Amino acid sequence: MPEAASVALTNPALPGDVPFDTIIYAAAGLVYPASLSQYAIYSTPDPAYITPRINIAAFANLGGGATWPFASSAIPLNGHVCVPQGRGPFPLVVFAHGNHQPVENSSPGYLYLCRLLASHGIIAATIDVNFLNGGNFGENDGRAIVHLEHLKQFRTWNNTAGHPLQGQVDLNRIMVVGHSRGGEAVGHASFFNRLSSIQPDSTSPVVPLDGSGPAPLGPYRFNLNAVAAIAPTDGQYQPLTGLTVVPDPYYVIHGARDGDVTSFPGYHTYNRAHAVDLANPTVSSGQWKAMLWVYNANHNQFNSIWASEAAAMPRASQEQIAKVHFGALAQAVLLRRPEYFAVLEDHAVATGWVPAGTEFVSQYQGPDRFFVQHHQEGAAPPVVSLPAQGTVFADSVTATRALTALVPGVTTTLTLRLAWSASGGRLLVRVDPATVPAERYKVLSLRVGQSVDAANPANRDQDFTLEVSSGSRTLAIAASSIHRLLYPAATIGGQKIMMQTLRLPVQRLIEEGVDPTDLRAISFVFDRRPAGVVFVGDLQFST
Amino acid sequence: MHPPVPPKVKAVQVVAAQPTENDSAAITHLSATERRSIDPVTYLVKVQLEEKMPYTSSGWALYVGNTRIPKYWEYEQGIYFKVIDPQFFVEHQGENLRFTQDEVEFVDAGAQLGAPEAVPAAAIRRLRTQEEALK
Repeated sequence: MPEAASVALTNPALPGDVPFDTIIYAAAGLVYPASLSQYAIYSTPDPAYITPRINIAAFANLGGGATWPFASSAIPLNGHVCVPQGRGPFPLVVFAHGNHQPVENSSPGYLYLCRLLASHGIIAATIDVNFLNGGNFGENDGRAIVHLEHLKQFRTWNNTAGHPLQGQVDLNRIMVVGHSRGGEAVGHASFFNRLSSIQPDSTSPVVPLDGSGPAPLGPYRFNLNAVAAIAPTDGQYQPLTGLTVVPDPYYVIHGARDGDVTSFPGYHTYNRAHAVDLANPTVSSGQWKAMLWVYNANHNQFNSIWASEAAAMPRASQEQIAKVHFGALAQAVLLRRPEYFAVLEDHAVATGWVPAGTEFVSQYQGPDRFFVQHHQEGAAPPVVSLPAQGTVFADSVTATRALTALVPGVTTTLTLRLAWSASGGRLLVRVDPATVPAERYKVLSLRVGQSVDAANPANRDQDFTLEVSSGSRTLAIAASSIHRLLYPAATIGGQKIMMQTLRLPVQRLIEEGVDPTDLRAISFVFDRRPAGVVFVGDLQFST
Repeated sequence: MHPPVPPKVKAVQVVAAQPTENDSAAITHLSATERRSIDPVTYLVKVQLEEKMPYTSSGWALYVGNTRIPKYWEYEQGIYFKVIDPQFFVEHQGENLRFTQDEVEFVDAGAQLGAPEAVPAAAIRRLRTQEEALK
């Protein structure tokens, strides 16, 4: 159970014991006008950390609202970096902000996270992309390139004889984090990272990303252990190949009281990542993804500098949540303490570390999974998904699949809607045990969430019984004993239906006498509430 | 806090300007791929707004008719986007400008794409810079 795991883990928001230095790095010769006085810190970088300029004119103009002392063909690589003292190599994390008042330097707003991570032995940087801020749109490919070029700079330092960072950067342990438009951009960075060239749009020539040409960009090819987005936008920049599908492990956190990116578009990014391939439904991407929806958190308070844009929890509480969850993420993927994946798999593991009473919805999909139902066959009655074989019966429950907009925006993922108006309804999923290799996996996993439909009483958790049967035994368990199914949060900008991942360990089935090699049926029994409507994303066995 | 309000357009103006180095590369590329001659002119479509856009992340995607404008930028009186292919105006002149945040709900801006000013061949070398054209 989550509580037991919590005992074994240390609060990842607590500072570690590694001393570190905070260094300003920047291009040489930067003289900012008085109106941009907040950037004067970049005029006197540490002499060992002078950076080159790069040409991003093929991707973006500079943003308006400020007079920058450089052009888009020669933008500087500026940032703060917290460098642990002692012998490396240390993992690397690089944060990037999103769109904001350009006269206000947004970059230091993630130092509270950089300091935490550095104290645990991680090189943690927060970069300057302020010159792309303003009343512009579609420039997030440029933000992605800037982010990747900063990674390249750390690789250069790591490979430079005599540099303080020589041999200190573990290039096999890298995470990129972006907030807001920077959150969308890290998804593009993940995509660009694997390319040797990109054509930014239909009228532009191809831009090499292999280090060639007169204004070389790239090569990249970094080993990104995680791509993390804080309240990201989605699809403002659209590659010619279609909306970006993040190929690396993906993490997204979003506040329900977000007053800027109100529609939680990052959920679309999340859904596209590591989705089922209908042509090869048994093939997993080998990458995990995780989502955290934070009730009463807003957009700006994830950045310690940005003024709060909407009524929300206290800033200190929101920063504490960020520290806990980014701390856990970094522990799991950068410091190789896989036990911290427990926090990603189930946010309840972190209950004792976050402000009391904070409510969350979380999702997690392991790197390897087998779908019993993914629901993407079409808007038709639910079926067992191939190659699993079986049948689905609905008794006193209405089961329909549709492109329900769980969050606003263009929806491409089908979701199962289950509605019942009297206790005792049942959705029975019968499977041929020879076609479902449940014994190879760690958990039975499904995503379920309730809506504001009138059948769901306001502010009351929804519940049902999950039954799992083998030839001779059935485990019947309340969904609420695995996880709460919260009533939807009060949000700005349209209602959202957030599904919670329920993970029932296969070991638990075995302990209850259910034989995973002889799995016969999985049932949703609606006997715990007289009426209701829930949405089900998928039903899978997973790692 | 309320959901953001779409921008209100006061006027749309198309002005010809000198291409930047990057625009020139795009014109060369497009001429080669389309196998037709394209003059070295960048058309700036200036969309004058009643109020400046707030510096938020969410933003508004801009459409001309059903065509999404991939990128736009800020200038003193609003936003502008670049057109390097005059064929764009042949295809879209008179179409409505529209804004959307989610690609589902669109807000008509109440303004149409106009025609570009004619640029005689002799005038191409004397075109304003983009900086001047955006004043």
